[in-house]
Amino acid sequence: MEFTIGLAAAIMGAALAVGLACAGSAIGIGIVGQTAAGVVSEDPDKFGPTLLLQSLPGTQGIYGLLIGFLILQRTGVLGGNIVEMTVHQGFAVLFAALPIAIVGLFSAIAQGKAAAAGVLLIAKRPEELGKGIIYAVMVETYAVLALLMSIMILFNIQF
Amino acid sequence: MAIAKMKKVYLIAHQAEKNDVLAILQQVGVLEIGDLQDKDAGNTAWAELVESDQEQEALQALEGYLTDVRFALDFLNRHVPAKKSMLDALSASKTSIIAGDLSANAVEWKHVSEDTYKALRRIDEKLMSLRNEETRLQNLKLQLAPWQKLALPLEEVKVTTAVRVELGTLPVTEVDPARQALAEVVPTCYFEEIGRDRHDAYVLIVNHNDTVENIQTALKTHSYSKHQFPQLTGTPAEVLERIKTDLVNLEAERKVALTKVKEQAKHRDTLNFYNDYLTMERDKKQVVANFARTGKSFILEGWIRAGDVPNLQQKLESTCETVSLIAREPESGEVHPVALDNKKGFAPFEFVTKLYGIPSSTGLDPTPFLAPFWVVFFGLCMTDAGYGVAIALLASIGLLKIKGDSVRKLLWVLFAGGLSTIVFGWMLGGWFGLEIFGAPLVFNPLLDPMPMLTYALILGLFQIFFGMAIQFVRLLKQGKVFDALADVGLWVVLIVGLLLYIAPGMAGVAKTMSLIGAAGLVLTQGRTQPTIIKKLLSGVLSLYNITGYFSDVLSYSRLLALGLATGVIAIAVNTMAGLLQGPILFVPMVILLVVGHTFNVVINTLGSYIHSSRLQYIEFYNRFYEGGGRSFVPFQIKTRHLEVSPECPKLVNFAGLPLMQRF
Repeated sequence: MEFTIGLAAAIMGAALAVGLACAGSAIGIGIVGQTAAGVVSEDPDKFGPTLLLQSLPGTQGIYGLLIGFLILQRTGVLGGNIVEMTVHQGFAVLFAALPIAIVGLFSAIAQGKAAAAGVLLIAKRPEELGKGIIYAVMVETYAVLALLMSIMILFNIQF
Repeated sequence: MAIAKMKKVYLIAHQAEKNDVLAILQQVGVLEIGDLQDKDAGNTAWAELVESDQEQEALQALEGYLTDVRFALDFLNRHVPAKKSMLDALSASKTSIIAGDLSANAVEWKHVSEDTYKALRRIDEKLMSLRNEETRLQNLKLQLAPWQKLALPLEEVKVTTAVRVELGTLPVTEVDPARQALAEVVPTCYFEEIGRDRHDAYVLIVNHNDTVENIQTALKTHSYSKHQFPQLTGTPAEVLERIKTDLVNLEAERKVALTKVKEQAKHRDTLNFYNDYLTMERDKKQVVANFARTGKSFILEGWIRAGDVPNLQQKLESTCETVSLIAREPESGEVHPVALDNKKGFAPFEFVTKLYGIPSSTGLDPTPFLAPFWVVFFGLCMTDAGYGVAIALLASIGLLKIKGDSVRKLLWVLFAGGLSTIVFGWMLGGWFGLEIFGAPLVFNPLLDPMPMLTYALILGLFQIFFGMAIQFVRLLKQGKVFDALADVGLWVVLIVGLLLYIAPGMAGVAKTMSLIGAAGLVLTQGRTQPTIIKKLLSGVLSLYNITGYFSDVLSYSRLLALGLATGVIAIAVNTMAGLLQGPILFVPMVILLVVGHTFNVVINTLGSYIHSSRLQYIEFYNRFYEGGGRSFVPFQIKTRHLEVSPECPKLVNFAGLPLMQRF
């Protein structure tokens, strides 16, 4: 395996996508968990619905992992047959990772806050779980759009 | 399909038959009882005629019994949990009972429940006093621990005729200075350190009664404080030993009390039945507060599905003599509660509809319209035939086992989603991330995502146009032809015109259509404004809504993104498992495959469910949906352990109904 600057840049892209998006998800899930634990201390039966809400900011991490995996696969790092690439191509791959890295980080935190508010909503009105979920999912749209753009850029870089 | 037709119902009957009427209404369970209390509040003739009806005393008595029974049940469940997994709880079958047998059984239940309640109450008090005693002993144990080495019985720590014996504490650093000070002032006094912990030393002082004041003065500067153990006999070590045995005894007593709770657990079913029975009775008394009454009669009002009127009428008239039931159509503008009635295939999707809310009583039930889209979207978000099989299989197992009505609806929805996933997985994806049965039938979005994006957006555009068509027809049916043409038609013209720019050789048509559409919107969208200038201004501003259509269509790109996510994670799991090769690593590999794919199915089913629903609620509903309805909640039996059936068929038969009519 011969390392070039291009390849290193591409790997940095994978690292950023996974690192930042997963960090965002961790923070987001943590925020919801804190609120949920408070609600469950009053009513242990709400564990199920609060867990559902807590899982919502977890998707950004998965999207990040997805892009990281795709980068490793397309550059051949995963299979062992590394694709020849120029510095420009390597950096293009790095930039492809940026949408999901940046949006994954911030949207997961924002979604965590919305989901935590959803937990408070079902603390008072358990029947409104659906609406709490929808509020949180409104945030996720932008993570999905970022994921889409990352995929689009990545698939359109020709090696 | 769609929203059920409702009728407003008034029911008048004699007070003497109130209980019978209530029992029938609860048993049939088709009438939502409204509040007559503040109806026509300004109407003095009405107010003079009737007064509010209520049965406060009976209600309070029932509430009292309910509190007792629920205490007993809570107490039992806390100490002797009913051994049930979640699946058991969902599939738990109710015990059948005939309505006529209820009150006879209730006497027996009441008897058993009251005895159980008293027994459990006694055990509760016993447990509480045991707990208090234990806390007291534990505290004492802590206090005595530092004195363990004192050889003197505690009852000897007192003032005798000549000598004073005293226990006390002082900071560790003060021990030596205090000892010196005492030796100087009262050489005859005895000072012994019994023990010490991190901060304090525990000391014994024995001195002659004449020197008490001198000693107090000498110790004043050394933060000395006296310590007393009244009512204890024996040396601290002996007392500690006694406490130890006492604690063991307490634990034994607690165990005995808990076995007594276990003995009472056999009455759990009876308690549950009685709880159900009391809840039914309580509900009947509670609803009376909504009635109005005269001296001898009472009146109630409510809403009922139009189709249920004859059935209720027949049931009431066959039992009661004085009942009069009057049903009428809702007046225009009168808001009625909303019940969704859909054909069998669509009914489960009411679960998706209700997650968002109930449509308005003047609106449209979106269930049959959203169902096909939802199924297709779910399949596209999952796009793995293997996962589809897993979801469909799990859902059907659940359907065989689980009885709860709303859970079953969800399972049917997931089952349909699973089937759709198999189809789309076969066409566009793999089987658990592998291409076991060759390449996908249509194409593989993982190799080339662009066509899939186009299809997703076209699908979105189609659903949005479909929503607009629904609104168009709805406005036409309401006779608002102009609104339909201006608010829906012109937008279609504009959007189609703009889209045609993409098509080659259509630029001319595209230009004309979009110009007509845009001009039409500018001219019509401000028509509610008062002045010409404002009319035009709002018209121009309305064109800004094009961004709404644009972003709504783009939103469907999530179908591609989520579909790819499922596929890529599945491949990632397989790749990681593939790294574990060789006979030793076989078991870890299998574990990784099972855990990885299970995780992927769970997280993506949740994601697909939510995102498929969201596309309905935000993008589709936006075109035609009118929300804010109130759910129809009929007065009915709400039991968790009893299944109350009407009279057994034989009895009904004797009541004079021909057999054919019943079946």
